[in-house]
Amino acid sequence: MKMKVGLFDFAGCEGCQLTVMNLEDQLLQVLQHIELVEFRELMTETAEQIDIAFVEGSICRPGDRQRLKQIRQRSKVLVALGSCADNGGVNALGSDRTPEVLRQQVYANDLPHLYTETPQPLSAVVKVDYRVPGCPIDGQEFLAILQALLLQQQPELPAFAVCVECKLAEYPCSFDYGQVCLGPVTRAGCRAICIDGGGHCRGCRGLIDNPRTSPYHRILEQHGLTVEEILDQYRTFNVSEKAP
Amino acid sequence: MLSDFSLKFQAEEQPERPLWRAIQSTEILHFVRSLLLAYDVIGVQKKRGRLVLDSLQDAADLVLEFPPAVHSPKKFLFPHWDQLFRFKLDENILLEAETAAPPRIIFGMHPCDLHAVKILDDCLFEGETDSSYRAKREATLLIGVDCTPDEFCFCTSLGTDRIAEGFDLFLHKRDGHYLIQTGSERGRKLLQDHAPETYDGPEESPLPLQVKQCDNKIKFPFESLPNLLEDAYDDKIWQELGHRCLGCGSCTLLCPTCYCFNVQDKLEISMQEGQRIRTWDSCQFDQFAQVANGNNFRSSQADRQRHRFFRKYKYLWEKHQRTACVGCGRCRRECLSEIEPVTVLNQMFADSPQPAETRPGSEYQPQMAQIIDVEQLSEKDRLFRLRLPQSIDFTPGSFMQISVFGLGEAPFSIASAPDGGNEIELMVRKAGTLTQALHRSRKGDSIGLRGPFGSGYPLASMHGKDLLLVAGGRGLLAIRSLLQAALADRHNFGRITLLCGARDIEALVFPEDLLDWHRSELLDCRIAVKDPDNSWGIPSLDISYLFKDLDIDPQRTIAAVSGPPEMYRQVNPLLFRMGLAEENLYLNLERHMKCGLGKCGKCQINNIYVCECGPIFPYSAIKHLGEAIER
Ligand SMILES: Cc1cc2nc3c(=O)[nH]c(=O)nc-3n(C[C@H](O)[C@H](O)[C@H](O)COP(=O)(O)OP(=O)(O)OC[C@H]3O[C@@H](n4cnc5c(N)ncnc54)[C@H](O)[C@@H]3O)c2cc1C
Ligand code: SF4
Ligand code: SF4
Ligand code: SF4
Ligand code: SF4
Ligand code: SF4
Ligand code: FES
Repeated sequence: MKMKVGLFDFAGCEGCQLTVMNLEDQLLQVLQHIELVEFRELMTETAEQIDIAFVEGSICRPGDRQRLKQIRQRSKVLVALGSCADNGGVNALGSDRTPEVLRQQVYANDLPHLYTETPQPLSAVVKVDYRVPGCPIDGQEFLAILQALLLQQQPELPAFAVCVECKLAEYPCSFDYGQVCLGPVTRAGCRAICIDGGGHCRGCRGLIDNPRTSPYHRILEQHGLTVEEILDQYRTFNVSEKAP
Repeated sequence: MLSDFSLKFQAEEQPERPLWRAIQSTEILHFVRSLLLAYDVIGVQKKRGRLVLDSLQDAADLVLEFPPAVHSPKKFLFPHWDQLFRFKLDENILLEAETAAPPRIIFGMHPCDLHAVKILDDCLFEGETDSSYRAKREATLLIGVDCTPDEFCFCTSLGTDRIAEGFDLFLHKRDGHYLIQTGSERGRKLLQDHAPETYDGPEESPLPLQVKQCDNKIKFPFESLPNLLEDAYDDKIWQELGHRCLGCGSCTLLCPTCYCFNVQDKLEISMQEGQRIRTWDSCQFDQFAQVANGNNFRSSQADRQRHRFFRKYKYLWEKHQRTACVGCGRCRRECLSEIEPVTVLNQMFADSPQPAETRPGSEYQPQMAQIIDVEQLSEKDRLFRLRLPQSIDFTPGSFMQISVFGLGEAPFSIASAPDGGNEIELMVRKAGTLTQALHRSRKGDSIGLRGPFGSGYPLASMHGKDLLLVAGGRGLLAIRSLLQAALADRHNFGRITLLCGARDIEALVFPEDLLDWHRSELLDCRIAVKDPDNSWGIPSLDISYLFKDLDIDPQRTIAAVSGPPEMYRQVNPLLFRMGLAEENLYLNLERHMKCGLGKCGKCQINNIYVCECGPIFPYSAIKHLGEAIER
């Protein structure tokens, strides 16, 4: 019997779902092994029972909590898909002020139909079994995690930092250019695409399990950077998380 | 141990004599072009503004002068993603072992990286040969090229800046051109087939082994690294490093000799098939040493740093007699925390207890001691009491070297017991020039001393035993030291018997002492002299007569016999007949000695250095040595 898989979304840009759809051929092959029971971007059907639910986006609108709880009830395994779902993501950027102040600043008027709460990760509402980190997610990592779940294995994320992938790909280190980089404390798995693109890591994949905070701070100091500067970077994706 | 394979590499591949040819840049270009038709040529090239080591598409892209910062050829010989085999999920069968490797040339390897390949060979051919590595190694030709060290290189400290073999070809930079040197038959053939004009060119004269200059240096001989680390297991430096290290693993992943790996299964998207692959792993990662229940036996970053250093400079040294580091400096270059092996090793060396003599040659230089008393024992014998600059610790039976500048050095037994102080007694019997010169020394004079040397009587292991001391002639000196020590600690010993023999009374070394001991209640002292007209009125006796009515308990007796070899030949059989065990008989073997350090070889008896292992030996340790007491 094929496993029933559903994809769900809350507040987010849908970039992660788009990444899944962009898998194209590979996605078609995977579809042979699963029964896709819900995916708003592709279909209208809904299901009673779900084996694996991938949930994108963060929780902030009225009714989100209730809907998420229902998904949880229907699903054997629930996976947070992308940073928004995993740790609040960019949505949570405005969390340093109240929703009222935020609305006032953004829209000038108080528009009741745009009422939201401070965006929260899924784990603030329900139990999350696994996660696919990143903003957006890495398509290949998504497939590997799906494969593992289909084979009833524990999906594993790399435990090491982005620096590893950056060095292996022979990219020059951002610190050499005086740029702040979150690579040393951020979980690998993205193949350091941002550094490849000439930028630096902003930590979209979240912290590694055991970030070495004090050596990291010392390195920032050595490069004439302040913890404030790194926090600025860090908050882009990880507002709800403890800073490194 | 080298496997057959690496032996084959070394033995068969070595050409009779290296060829040396001049090669111009344009010829190199043609050479590479020709190679590209038949091989995957790996070389340093600029990609998106950066120098990287990768497959060449165009010969013109090859960069031969590149900094040491570029990735090492491990990238191709032991790649990060290496398929071991493929499998089918449902049938659980192996499809094919993945050992095929494309014919390849790595064009441009610095000497350190060539040395690094030798280390990988050591490790991966040892025991069960790693076939995937072997396949790549066999299919790959290595072309070396000169380099210029940067501030992080320390190859000169490890001898890896120079290389005489281990490559197929080597390019030496000269003014405006290169000299190419063949290092193997395969290399010679490669040159012949792909650069025939160069190959047929005139013979050039060989260059001497090319050495480099690095500013970054290990401040001590690298051979002492294993010992240095041995004593540094609990050094505070590991904690310091642990606090600085990010655990990012860059240092080991990019090291040309680190090869620890992880093995994983990767499924095809079809979920029918998959491949078992290996990827580089790092001992610096959290989960590297984690076991099933979550325990981690190298749980702190300090432990992991220590492991890294021990593996580089000790563990693999002990297996293969070379450090697993070639001093390429990559680990430091890539480390955001700037953890640098040379600094770490030098600091560890500075923190390690330094042996007192570090001045070169100081082991041969005497210290000055003052004569505080001189006693004329007999016409030929004088006893000197000496005060040293510091206290002296020795076992009875050890000896000192006395220096008289202008005449040299000679060994003398310490005649007094160790008492923890800084004074000793030495007895000098007139023999030749040096001993005569000593006899002219007065109280207050200074003489040179080295020592103590040798190993003497194991006093502590004699506790609770009866002592049977047998001395002949000057042999009494070592026995006096032992006896004085035993008397100072009398309650720790059972019966003490001293048997002393000499030609005549004059030949007895310490006549006063002997009389004292003879009268003493503390021991049984018996004397034999051969000369019938002696002033002490002793009947003419040979020492063997003293054994006649000797009553000893062989089970609880330790015997120390000290004298000329004739005496051993005479006395030993008597003792064994009384039931004494061989390991309870100690002999004093006097030999000609110069260095006292186990170096000069003058004192050697068969394979034993008397100055180090003796002069006091249990009979059981030397009875098999033909040169010990036989003539
Ligand atoms: C372990 C040991 C302990 C000794 N203890 C004493 C002692 O306590 N009192 C004492 O008077 N003598 C002792 N000797 C002997 C003493 O070293 C020699 O008598 C002395 O070296 C003679 O030197 P010289 O220049 O006066 O005579 P030389 O004319 O040089 O030699 C006279 C004799 O001494 C021998 N000899 C010379 N140099 C050495 C040497 N380096 N090692 C051994 N023998 C040598 C020669 O072979 C020759 O037989 C000891 C020897 C050894 C090996
Ligand atoms: S994680 Fe990033 S890409 Fe994914 S939905 Fe959120 S904002 Fe979009
Ligand atoms: S750029 Fe960032 S990720 Fe790459 S090595 Fe430097 S710190 Fe690490
Ligand atoms: S480099 Fe950093 S910010 Fe960029 S994708 Fe990777 S984890 Fe995210
Ligand atoms: S590169 Fe530096 S920080 Fe990273 S693991 Fe090695 S020593 Fe630690
Ligand atoms: S330990 Fe460092 S210096 Fe030594 S070979 Fe490895 S990377 Fe090079
Ligand atoms: S005296 Fe030199 S080796 Fe013994």
